[in-house]
Amino acid sequence: MVQAAAPSDQTIRFRDVSVVYPNGVRGLDHVDLEIPPGQFVVVVGLSGAGKSTLVRTINGLVPVTSGSLTVGDRELVGVGRRQLRRLRADIGMVFQSFNLVTRTSVLNNVLTGRLHDTPLWRSLLGWYRAEDKEIAFQALERVGIVEKAYTRASQLSGGQQQRVAIARVLAQEPLVMLADEPVASLDPPTANLVMRDLQRINHDLGITTVVNLHFLDLARRYGARIIGMRAGNIVFDGTAEEADDKVFEDIYGRSLTAEDVLPDSVRIESLGGPDTP
Amino acid sequence: MSVATEAPPRTAPTRPAKPRPNWGLWGGLLMALLITVLAARSIEFTLEPLLYDYDRGRPVLEGFLDPEWTYLGRVWEPFLETFSIAVIASLIGCSLALVMALLASKVSAPNRATYVISKQLLSVIRSLPDVAYGLLFVAAVGTGALAGILALIFFNLGIAAKLTSETVDAIDPGPVEATDAVGAGIIERARVAIVPQVLPSYISYCLYVFELNIRASVIIGLVGGGGIGNVIRVELSRFNYGRLSAVIIALFVVVFALDALSRTLRRRLV
Repeated sequence: MVQAAAPSDQTIRFRDVSVVYPNGVRGLDHVDLEIPPGQFVVVVGLSGAGKSTLVRTINGLVPVTSGSLTVGDRELVGVGRRQLRRLRADIGMVFQSFNLVTRTSVLNNVLTGRLHDTPLWRSLLGWYRAEDKEIAFQALERVGIVEKAYTRASQLSGGQQQRVAIARVLAQEPLVMLADEPVASLDPPTANLVMRDLQRINHDLGITTVVNLHFLDLARRYGARIIGMRAGNIVFDGTAEEADDKVFEDIYGRSLTAEDVLPDSVRIESLGGPDTP
Repeated sequence: MSVATEAPPRTAPTRPAKPRPNWGLWGGLLMALLITVLAARSIEFTLEPLLYDYDRGRPVLEGFLDPEWTYLGRVWEPFLETFSIAVIASLIGCSLALVMALLASKVSAPNRATYVISKQLLSVIRSLPDVAYGLLFVAAVGTGALAGILALIFFNLGIAAKLTSETVDAIDPGPVEATDAVGAGIIERARVAIVPQVLPSYISYCLYVFELNIRASVIIGLVGGGGIGNVIRVELSRFNYGRLSAVIIALFVVVFALDALSRTLRRRLV
């Protein structure tokens, strides 16, 4: 719905973006990057390479120190709280640890995604509009977990919780979906299921998707475009086909080990699971 | 894993020397003991009256051993007043405490200044004991239930807000981050991501404060805050130890019963 009404060009543009944390650590070092709308981008790199920083600057969770970062024609650097909130409403985010309020119902968690369009008095009473609930239910249907709508989030498995988190993003009806290590807390079969959910949403709804991963086989399988990061710099930017083992060794600055691939992923594939792009 | 199976190195690393005894700690304990002794001597503290002077307490004891049970029929109204004071004060005090708690935690405060000011304000509120608030409000609005309620509201606010804000400090930051990421404001964030996480603890604190209130409202009644404390004061000044005894025993039963009820409720919450 929002996708159709939105301005056509929602390109994410980094222009000479640097991030320096208060402790002096440089998260991003003069990064230039352009992500066209609808693309599925996977960011890889060792921990501390800046891939999490890269993803989190896009919705302002990590403030940019210098440079310019725009989503469509909207600037993110140096804007006020209100504008930042409006931009965040259009950018959904999935986290490694799901970040659900586990004490409350799945539906309430998904409805969090509707907050940007709900009057304050309604959200204070927890009395959401019928059409917002409908959007939340549709989001839950899309990730195939609608039967759990009234279950407490704490009763769900990790994979189910992450799908609720994806439904929360869908309920925002966003233009961009960010995912910071979305499968790092999940077992291999579930990791593939969640990655396929993200891929399907990107494909069906045309939502620009930026995903951090540290398993290179997942990166290759799901990423249309792969960005490799090291020490706050982009050291590789290309298609999944171009990203061979040699490239990954360059990104990681060391030879590859068994820990760089998802354990048991070969077995999962032989079960006839994922439709490899 | 492979590291664990390696043979131990030939020369064992030198063991660390035993650290020096903590003289500071022993010195501190000795000081505490010394201060206690000096304090006792300065007020001429002695247990002698307990041994030689107990005769003076005989009429008091006799009165207490012969409670005037029939008097209880005439004081159920002040009892009810004490209960009402406790309920109203808990309700208002705890509602204010939730707001103050959110303002006094780094997690939920809108900015640093609000956080610092609220935190300081809470510690000022807490620095006065319940009796002091009782005296203060009796002086301000006169004797009666209103003074008692106002005194207890402040007493509750101090306790419940501190406990709740510490619980807010310790919540899982994940949902808060997620709520920020959907573009929610700070009030929505508090409502959606913070309050649900602290709710069981918060309700438990409210019940705890209610328990305290039943007891504290007696004390506050003594200084003019209405309720059963007022009755105790009057009967005490008339040396009606029999009546006093009946009231105190009844009070003991009521407080014990309400405490037990509240504790059962709290146990179910957490």
